[in-house]
Amino acid sequence: MMYLEDFVLGAENEFGRYEVTEDEVVAFGNRYDNQPFHVDKESAKDSIYGGLIASGWHTCAMFMRMACDAQIGGERMASLGSPGFDDLKWLLPVRPGDVLSVRTKVLSAMPSRSKPDRGTMRFQIWMRNQKGEVVLEMTSMGRYLRRPMEGA
Amino acid sequence: MIEDRTSGLEWIMCMKYFEDIEVGEVWDLGQRAVEAAEIIEFATQYDPQPFHTDAAAAEASFFGGLIASGWHTCAIVMELLANYIKTEGLASLGAPGMDSCRWLVPVRPGDVLHGRTTILEARPSASKPMGLITVRTEVFNQDKAKVVQLEGVAMYGCRPIEAGETA
Repeated sequence: MMYLEDFVLGAENEFGRYEVTEDEVVAFGNRYDNQPFHVDKESAKDSIYGGLIASGWHTCAMFMRMACDAQIGGERMASLGSPGFDDLKWLLPVRPGDVLSVRTKVLSAMPSRSKPDRGTMRFQIWMRNQKGEVVLEMTSMGRYLRRPMEGA
Repeated sequence: MIEDRTSGLEWIMCMKYFEDIEVGEVWDLGQRAVEAAEIIEFATQYDPQPFHTDAAAAEASFFGGLIASGWHTCAIVMELLANYIKTEGLASLGAPGMDSCRWLVPVRPGDVLHGRTTILEARPSASKPMGLITVRTEVFNQDKAKVVQLEGVAMYGCRPIEAGETA
C-alpha cells in the first residue's frame, strides 16, 4: 500500500498512451456535450476549431483512465478520492487520431489539520499529443491515508 | 471563395450573444437523475476505481457505497449546460479551461442533480469577435447539498454585424 508519506516531492512520472477515435469523441459529445463542434463533423469544419474536437471534459476523462491504468488511484494506493482541481487549461484542441500521454509532478503533500489519518497531495498534470504539444494542464488533488504509526 | 470564419457561428442559429449576457444573471440549468448503471458505465470506461465500479467493494470502502467519478459529475454538469446552451440559443464557443473545481459531496445512485450558473464578469476579447464570461456553476442534490462548484471562463460569440452597420 502506498501512503501519503510515500510520495516524493518533485518526482515526475510519465505514463499512458490513449488513441483518440472519432467514434469515441462523437459518442461522448452526444452523451454529455452536444455542441456542434463535438458531435457534427460537417458543421465542426466551419467552426472556429476547423474540425471535430473532443469535449474538454472528455479529455479529462481520458487523463483519468490513463492515471487509473498507471495505478495512480488504484487499489495499491491508499486513495480516498479527490477534493478537486485548479487551473485546468485546455490549451489545444484534441482531435480524432491524436495519441495522448500524461506527465505528472508531485507538488506538495499537506497533512490534514482536522483528520490526522490523512492528507492531500497536489500534482501538476500535463497531457501531450503525438507531436509533443501540451494539450491540457492542471493542478490536481488527491486525498490519501497517512502511514499508520508503528504499534498504534 | 474565402470563407468568413470571423465569428464561427454562421452555421448555427443563435438567439443570445455575448452582448446579451449580463453580469449577475443566473441560468437555471434544470435537473436530472443519476442512476447506478450510468455511474458504473462511465467509471468502467474512464475511472475504474472500485468505489465507482463495484457496489460491493464500494460498500466496504471509505465512501460506504457507490459514488460517481468526479469527472462523471463534471460531464453531467456539461450536459446540463450544453442543453441550456441549445435551448436558449447561446452563442457558445467553448472554454479555455476551468480555474477551479471542488467535488464537495459524493454523487450517489438515485441523486437528482440541479445546476445553476451565475455570471460573475464579462469582458470583450481584445482581438476576436467574442467575449469572455467568468462563470460560477453550482450543482446541488435533492437534499440541497452542494455537490460540485466550478469557476472559470467561457467564450461567447459577439452579435454579427448586419450589412450596412459599422463596427
